[in-house]
Amino acid sequence: MPTERLLNILEMLSREHSDHHSDTLCAVAAELTELSGAGIFLLSGGPQYTKFCSSDDVADKLLDLEITLGEGPGNEACNSGVALHEDDLLFGKYDRWLAYAPAAVAIGARSIFAFPIGIGAIRIGALILYRDRPGPLTERQESDAYLVASVIGRAILETRAGATELDLRGELGLAHSLDFSVHQAAGMVAVQGSLSLDDALVALRSHAFGSGVSMTTMAQSVVRRETSYDPESRRWRGKEARNP
Amino acid sequence: MRMTRESLLIATLVELADNLVDEFDVIEVLTMLCNRCVETIDIDAAGVMLASPAGELQYVASSSETMRELELYQIQTDEGPCIDCFNSGESIIDRTLNDAVEQWPRFSVRAVELGFNSVYCLPMRLRGRVIGALNFFRVKAGALDTNDVVLAQGLADVATIAILQHQTSIDARVLNSQLSSALNSRIIIEQAKGMISQATNCDMDVAFSRLRAHARNHNERLTALANAIVGGSVRPQDLDGASPTTKP
Repeated sequence: MPTERLLNILEMLSREHSDHHSDTLCAVAAELTELSGAGIFLLSGGPQYTKFCSSDDVADKLLDLEITLGEGPGNEACNSGVALHEDDLLFGKYDRWLAYAPAAVAIGARSIFAFPIGIGAIRIGALILYRDRPGPLTERQESDAYLVASVIGRAILETRAGATELDLRGELGLAHSLDFSVHQAAGMVAVQGSLSLDDALVALRSHAFGSGVSMTTMAQSVVRRETSYDPESRRWRGKEARNP
Repeated sequence: MRMTRESLLIATLVELADNLVDEFDVIEVLTMLCNRCVETIDIDAAGVMLASPAGELQYVASSSETMRELELYQIQTDEGPCIDCFNSGESIIDRTLNDAVEQWPRFSVRAVELGFNSVYCLPMRLRGRVIGALNFFRVKAGALDTNDVVLAQGLADVATIAILQHQTSIDARVLNSQLSSALNSRIIIEQAKGMISQATNCDMDVAFSRLRAHARNHNERLTALANAIVGGSVRPQDLDGASPTTKP
């Protein structure tokens, strides 16, 4: 079970002192996977990507490069929803990214690994990890990268819903994946409020937070049809959900 | 006419083989597998859990809502047969819940409350790695029949192959990517169920049945249909068997 590693991430998150919450996430991703650096870009409505954070200058330039060229591992991971490994950008087995690969090598990356960030049908962005040497990820590094991408996905949505770093640590400490009722409730709220699924999830999290209950408790109340979202008044109605 | 166990088993294998040859949806195959286990083995409920590449066990399919609840309860409390079976890689073929109170204090009480008396669990293995577990519950107490154990392990192996889809090489990367896709598919289906449940005013079970029935009728993959619902290209009201409601 990844509990220990999850606690490790939380510990790293609290240890890193950064004015930018987002850069902390990238620094933790790089440290945990023991790679040279990490960057995250997000889908910002439509096909455009925006830089979210980077752990160093090389990672930052790699993100710029992908955004400018519109090709690269992050783009591909995000579009396909599948992780992508390029063990050697210089002598790789693929002929993809004709423009990206040589430019990435010039910037200082030799191997690159991209993991999609998302929750079900919600596509959030991609985590890009690079190393200045060629070579594959170990199984442990790969597993850690999946874990960190999943934690980051949740952290990004919760931050959008107004969660502080402290709230986040509390919630992630319980379980890194969301309860199934949360996915169902997000679907229900999306229909109730004619919202996108990610906006519905953010709204659900904000409302849970504002009511002082966990997201799971609030989601269960929505699924039982005791709580619902009214799009006209932009308000929630129903009986107060309570933590059990 | 009631099918004999043998004919049921043959029908199951043919159905699975059909699925594995054509384009198939892994969640659909695993759900079908759970249903067929209940029909061919002397058990009352079946469920599958898979380990994510990050190492966390997650629910993917079950034969009933009660089973699903018990699977999720094991994950929440981090105790129960599936957790032990996954961690040890050993089968559990004879465990009476009343005798397991010490081992699983919360889980065994909950399972007995839901009417079960025995529990069984088989690991899903691939090249020495345990990727998940197939979990059974029975109302009647006692050990599983030897033939049932053989049959169940065979079905667990088929489930394992299903997860690989059509990949010929099964290195760790490919496996991780398939596991990750399978688990994400399950989440997309839950999101779509929520939308269907709200738009057509039905409960989650009915929403899932409609999604499955429509996918079958129109020869679509379950996850692709769920994606189309979430993406708005198929309206929940237009699913087979769904009657549009005036008030959303």
